[in-house]
Amino acid sequence: MRGALLAILGGGMLVVQGPAAGAQQPGDPQAGLRKAGMCRTCHGIDGVARIPVAPHIGGESAAYLSRQLTAFRDGTRTHEMMSVVAKGLDDQSIADLAAWYSSHSATASLPPDRNEAMAPEACVACHGADGLATVEDAPNLAGENAIYIDTQLKAFRMGKRRHEIMSEIAAGLGDADIRALADWYAGTRLDVVPAK
Amino acid sequence: MKRLMSSVAVLAVSTAVAHAQTPAVPDNLEKLSNFQTTGTTEFTLIDQEGEYADGIKKNLERIKLPDGFRIDLYAVVPDARHMAVGPQGIVTFVGTRKDKVWAVTDRNKDRVADEVKDFAPSLQFSIPNGPCFSKDGFLHIAEQNRVLLFPAAEFFYESPDVAAFNLVKKGELVPAEHESFNHTARVCKIGPDGKIYISLGQPFNVAPAESLDTYRQHGIGGIIRMNTDGTGREVYTYGVRNSVGHDFHPVTGELWFTDNQVDGMGDDIPPGEINRQTAAGQHFGHPWYGGGSIRTTEYEGQEVPVEVVMPAAEMDAHAADLGMTFYTGGMFPERYRNAIFSAQHGSWNRTTPVGARVMVTFVDGDGKATTETFADGWIDENGEYLGRPVDVAQLRDGSLLVSDDLAGALYRISYEGN
Repeated sequence: MRGALLAILGGGMLVVQGPAAGAQQPGDPQAGLRKAGMCRTCHGIDGVARIPVAPHIGGESAAYLSRQLTAFRDGTRTHEMMSVVAKGLDDQSIADLAAWYSSHSATASLPPDRNEAMAPEACVACHGADGLATVEDAPNLAGENAIYIDTQLKAFRMGKRRHEIMSEIAAGLGDADIRALADWYAGTRLDVVPAK
Repeated sequence: MKRLMSSVAVLAVSTAVAHAQTPAVPDNLEKLSNFQTTGTTEFTLIDQEGEYADGIKKNLERIKLPDGFRIDLYAVVPDARHMAVGPQGIVTFVGTRKDKVWAVTDRNKDRVADEVKDFAPSLQFSIPNGPCFSKDGFLHIAEQNRVLLFPAAEFFYESPDVAAFNLVKKGELVPAEHESFNHTARVCKIGPDGKIYISLGQPFNVAPAESLDTYRQHGIGGIIRMNTDGTGREVYTYGVRNSVGHDFHPVTGELWFTDNQVDGMGDDIPPGEINRQTAAGQHFGHPWYGGGSIRTTEYEGQEVPVEVVMPAAEMDAHAADLGMTFYTGGMFPERYRNAIFSAQHGSWNRTTPVGARVMVTFVDGDGKATTETFADGWIDENGEYLGRPVDVAQLRDGSLLVSDDLAGALYRISYEGN
């Protein structure tokens, strides 16, 4: 599976569409849309972030979105705003919201003066050279604000956020490395085509 | 020369300009501190005409103001946050919560900016939200964890390389382990005492008990001040949750500041705050109070161990009062003299959104404050934001600039009379 995805990636652009397989509970995108009022001021109704502290989530895998919302709700991941929002979500709401935001299509591309060979080696296997995730456990990073990525990598390094792969990768990174990786993905472009 | 197309569609997130920094950037700050060149020769210029600007102008037709006032698009400025108007009136610097500072110039003085370009493009900024000027033309920029100083910025900014120095070195504003992204939009202003005042929001919704000693020591959840040579740092204000706007009363010299209050307690509590500080070291109630006299759930029933100053004005809950300035210009009617203009960014998780307005607060001789809505209309009939005001600043002609980080724009409010 991953080999096939990486092969597609070789073409320079990868399209992720539709709810990812393996979501624990089937979500209803339309029910998610109705509940997304609490998300849209920061993440946009289409999942394109409206403020720099929020990541883009349109076209993200449903599995990733459900896992993060569940982690915020259960307190295993904390954020000043998201912990407040997620506290009131039941499993069905999480599945619905994940279904809504994953139902959009995300594409990513590199700026003209860059090529895949220049992409950060430690990240490409899961996040792609252009920032479009190749595995459903990883978020897209394309077009993300550099400071958002910088903040997350430092959180993994410091243990404020934990993930079996990311904690280990971030542990070995210095501040300048982190900023360079963040700047790479901030320099890629994300386009989200909203679901109907 | 690179151009960022201002017609960037709402759905297309083009951050492609952000790669001017190659990964192995040497520390250009050191070079600039020694008046050396960095080799950076390119600016990013923002288009001021076209579809995007037209869309903003159309939205401004909906904005309601008191009789005799008008609002116009002054500049397209991506991610526009806090502003510092140059003392010579040449350029306005605009911070962002990303990695750019924008320099906005109205060359022909028709009160619409002609040029918007990035300031000091050879420097790698991190959340350079808060620019502020001293009267003698020194620009300060408060970042996430550094404060930079740019002498004669109004002169040097025309070139990509500017003279630049550390006022507070990276990592010394707050301990790195207490860095955050949210609540890290620093603002600064130079006080009547000539010191620089810098807000330091605390990272949490409600600050946890185990962090309070550290926060108190560094002024996190407070406002610090120091001499403009970086010496004499002290905590001036305690018990603040996340202040993103302050100014000094033109007559009394007292510090007034906005503060954003606790989330998750319901749609209508706790109130937002405009505070008045009458002495160094006063405490404004966080984390025991969540806003006004409403106690936080986390500290409910606990004895409050400090003497708390209650807000001078209570604002709508969750409206997110950010930048503020006292009005000292000659353009607006007399009743606005020494009044506070403040920007409400708008709520993010209230059932019905509130805010996205410019407010005006009148302060009488006893310090009593009364607030009115001054400009609103940025929330449409579907509850969707058309813009989110962040900061207000006065131009030398007495008109008012308002920044908006959702639309990516500066507006100018002027008075024409009746």
